[in-house]
Amino acid sequence: MPTMEVDGKKITFEGKKMILQACLDAGVELPHYCYHSGLSVVASCRICLVEAEHPNPKDPTQMIKIPKLIPSCQTPAMDGMKVYSKSPKAAANQKAVMEFLLINHPLDCPVCDQAGECSLQDYSYKYGRAESRFEEDKAKKPKKDIGPHVLLYSDRCIMCTRCVRFTHEISGTSELAVFGRGHKEEINVFQGRPLDNPLSGNVVDICPVGALLDKDMLFTQRVWFLKSTASISPFSSGGENIFIEHNQGRIYRIKPRFNADINQWWISDDIRYGWKFVHENRLNKLVQGGKEIDWETAEAHLDGMMRKAVAEKGPGSTALVLSAFDTTEEMYLAAKWIRSIDRQAWLVLNPPRVEGTDQTFKNPVTGAVTYVIRAEKAPNRQGAEKIIAHFAGNTCDLSDLAAKVSGGAFAAAAVVLDPIAGTDRAVETALAGLDNLAVLSSRPTALTGRAALALPVCTWAEKSGVYENFAGRIQAFDRAIEPLENTHSAGAIFWSLLGESGTYRSQDGRTMMGREGLPDYAGVTVPKREKKIQLMEFSPL
Amino acid sequence: MAYAGPVLLKRIPDDPAQRKLYRYADYIATGGYASLKKVLAMQPEDVIKLVVDSGLRGRGGAGFPCGTKWTFLPKDLFPRYLAVNFDESEPGTFKDRYLIDHDPHILLEGIAIAAFANKISTSYIYIRGEYHHEAKLLEAALAEAYEHGIFGQKHPGTDIVGHCYVHRGAGAYICGEETGLLESLEGKRGWPRIKPPFPAVAGAFAKPTIINNVETLACLPAIVEHGAAWFKAMGTPSSSGPKLFGVSGHVNKPGVFEEELGIKMSTLIEKYAGGVKGGKYRAAIPGGVSMGVLGTDQYDAELDFDIGRKYNVLGLGTAGVIVMNDKTDLVGMLRNIVRFFAHESCGQCTPCREGTAWMHKILNRIVDGFGQPHDFDMLAELCLTMGAMPGTTICGLADGANWAVKTFLQKFPEDFKSRLKSRQVQGVAVSGAGVA
Repeated sequence: MPTMEVDGKKITFEGKKMILQACLDAGVELPHYCYHSGLSVVASCRICLVEAEHPNPKDPTQMIKIPKLIPSCQTPAMDGMKVYSKSPKAAANQKAVMEFLLINHPLDCPVCDQAGECSLQDYSYKYGRAESRFEEDKAKKPKKDIGPHVLLYSDRCIMCTRCVRFTHEISGTSELAVFGRGHKEEINVFQGRPLDNPLSGNVVDICPVGALLDKDMLFTQRVWFLKSTASISPFSSGGENIFIEHNQGRIYRIKPRFNADINQWWISDDIRYGWKFVHENRLNKLVQGGKEIDWETAEAHLDGMMRKAVAEKGPGSTALVLSAFDTTEEMYLAAKWIRSIDRQAWLVLNPPRVEGTDQTFKNPVTGAVTYVIRAEKAPNRQGAEKIIAHFAGNTCDLSDLAAKVSGGAFAAAAVVLDPIAGTDRAVETALAGLDNLAVLSSRPTALTGRAALALPVCTWAEKSGVYENFAGRIQAFDRAIEPLENTHSAGAIFWSLLGESGTYRSQDGRTMMGREGLPDYAGVTVPKREKKIQLMEFSPL
Repeated sequence: MAYAGPVLLKRIPDDPAQRKLYRYADYIATGGYASLKKVLAMQPEDVIKLVVDSGLRGRGGAGFPCGTKWTFLPKDLFPRYLAVNFDESEPGTFKDRYLIDHDPHILLEGIAIAAFANKISTSYIYIRGEYHHEAKLLEAALAEAYEHGIFGQKHPGTDIVGHCYVHRGAGAYICGEETGLLESLEGKRGWPRIKPPFPAVAGAFAKPTIINNVETLACLPAIVEHGAAWFKAMGTPSSSGPKLFGVSGHVNKPGVFEEELGIKMSTLIEKYAGGVKGGKYRAAIPGGVSMGVLGTDQYDAELDFDIGRKYNVLGLGTAGVIVMNDKTDLVGMLRNIVRFFAHESCGQCTPCREGTAWMHKILNRIVDGFGQPHDFDMLAELCLTMGAMPGTTICGLADGANWAVKTFLQKFPEDFKSRLKSRQVQGVAVSGAGVA
């Protein structure tokens, strides 16, 4: 494998790569603003310039020193190359570029949302100078409302053009462009064409400074208070990798988590802004016949309901309606529980909502697919179908269930409900005639209102588990925030109903599944978070 | 044999009253398109060899050998394009306009020769947006050329049909930079490209492209007519041939004059431009403001492509000489020059975008009487960090701005230092609101 020496540290790289990308892949930080691994190279910020020497192709023992500073983002890495990013010449350039970027940059970090995760701040500490030598008036540029989700603070912009390239190359919508010239140039949208595309929120992520800000997050939280938890999008069947960023039990934003095979660096706005339901209109009371009860009574009652039905009407008189929003482990435990009571219990999938067709984004020049928004708006249909297939026996779809209910074949049913609004109408109609109904739901609905037993459960952010995306990729996610008071995860409920000991952890569910004929799930874990590149190098006082 | 009278300006007499526009018929009557006829009977490789042997160097500023540039085209990559750089926007430079104003067909003949030699299918004349008169002239001349089969015909021995179009720019200096020109030609924002790939491999529309200056191409008919040795005999060993010099500023008779390369600036000013006006010679810019300034003791500088090395300027540039007499405010002059660069910086690279505007603000302050002693060092440092260290920006605009500032500071330090006073001396409160 080709190797390269960066500031005396040996790194290896594969294939054709630029010096900067090879360094980033190897965990070596070179300063950069305009470069983004997912976008084309413009080499315009000029802070990544390094000195380099490479072996003479005719005589590899001799090194040829490149006389100029070279842009590391644009120069291919070569085997045996030596790169110096800390040489006096390279350091002088970094210092100069930092000074140039800051002369017109407002000193409003205290009120800037980006503060704390700002490349300009970080590099200023590491490469810049302590005081400003700029005595002139700063250029004044306006703040602009450029779209439904995004604000542009032109005065903070460093003209890296990442956002412009994003709209050209990833969303393919080209709303953003550079207007004007020289130090007066600004990013803007065209009149009457706001930055309003389904991927627009990504420009906020790729902005290295606080120029593009998320209206949703604006002034709500300082980023250094946020904890981030690796999770999977619960809003579509794509299995997009995300971080839930939260503090003190409240979610503040969702950020994309890089996954080369699925969503790369991006997520759609549905995913980014869809988390509100976690904190709004939640069901948090256990109600049985209009009366509040505690969890122990509720669980006993749920168990009793099913057993009574089987005792009265024989096997096959109960049903379990699974939701594609629940984790696979939860569905496994629920199905295992109901089949332990009624070996002919019906397993039914509440079909997830499908909106139109998949929306595919392409790079208009190369034609390469950059992002797909899946039409199916639930994360785990594949998982639900696998559980139903695993238990086999009596299974049917929702319309058959409706026929059976109206035919009086059922004495009881348990429903595991969707946590997201607007999807339970079909279940509601199908079970309209059934009185002996237990519902596990995260929010109050018509169904929880008329159910004999309604149990409040957690949303995806409050539990862990695995989702299986449309292509059968099984991905685990962690619990981000503590469950809302008085709610349990469906997994914990069925874990206890099955008589298993201890507190339920989704890993236990997966181990059980592995033991009981579903080996694919046993070893799935949340990938370890890559070590964040250490940017600051504080010397001991 | 050395220089013996006008080559490029042979149809343009010195007396303004006798100048006229040469249409196709007039051009033919004065021996026009004879060189093209001669070339079409030759092998393309021989034409390239002829140009290489002539030592013709690019007249657009950088002085890159024209024939060598042509040999960079990849062997089997077609179609190939020619972009003619007529985006003459450098302050002090008006030579190409003067030529085309009277003799547009000399350019078209040069284009036809270059297109044949390099098997080029389409040539674009990228003309500065402000040159609307010249654009119309060229359009008319092109129509005549098409009518008479200069363009729109197959190159002999190939299936390549040579076409030529006039493309008007929209008024940006940076589009005279060759890759900025290509971007603009493609209908994009005129931001210079990062290299590689070089235009000879992937230029306009990602196809191999040659970019030549108007004057460079206008030299071709004469080279074909008289041969490489004749051309090489003019000028100096490293800078051969005749050259158009535009002289402006404090001279009695500003204008475009033709002489061989390597003549002394003093000769140009005194013999052709009627001497310095309103005082004694103090300083001159050899070729467009980006090249820097020649000092008082450099009056006799030889104007050729070695001028940069010999006289501490960036180069000959476009040979648009701006002469300044001893009453000129050089600080104000530099302020104007830097204002130009701050205005024309494309804004792509950080050092150029921010640095040119910063230098402009400092110079504004000095001109307004608020310069402070440390401003001199600040300016000197800025032009070093901005691009005098070559290659810290994508194109050469930053280098141009820096060379102008650097040479002014080096050659006329007292002009600046005498304007700088501490704030106490200026009588401005040291604390509180700034003066700028």
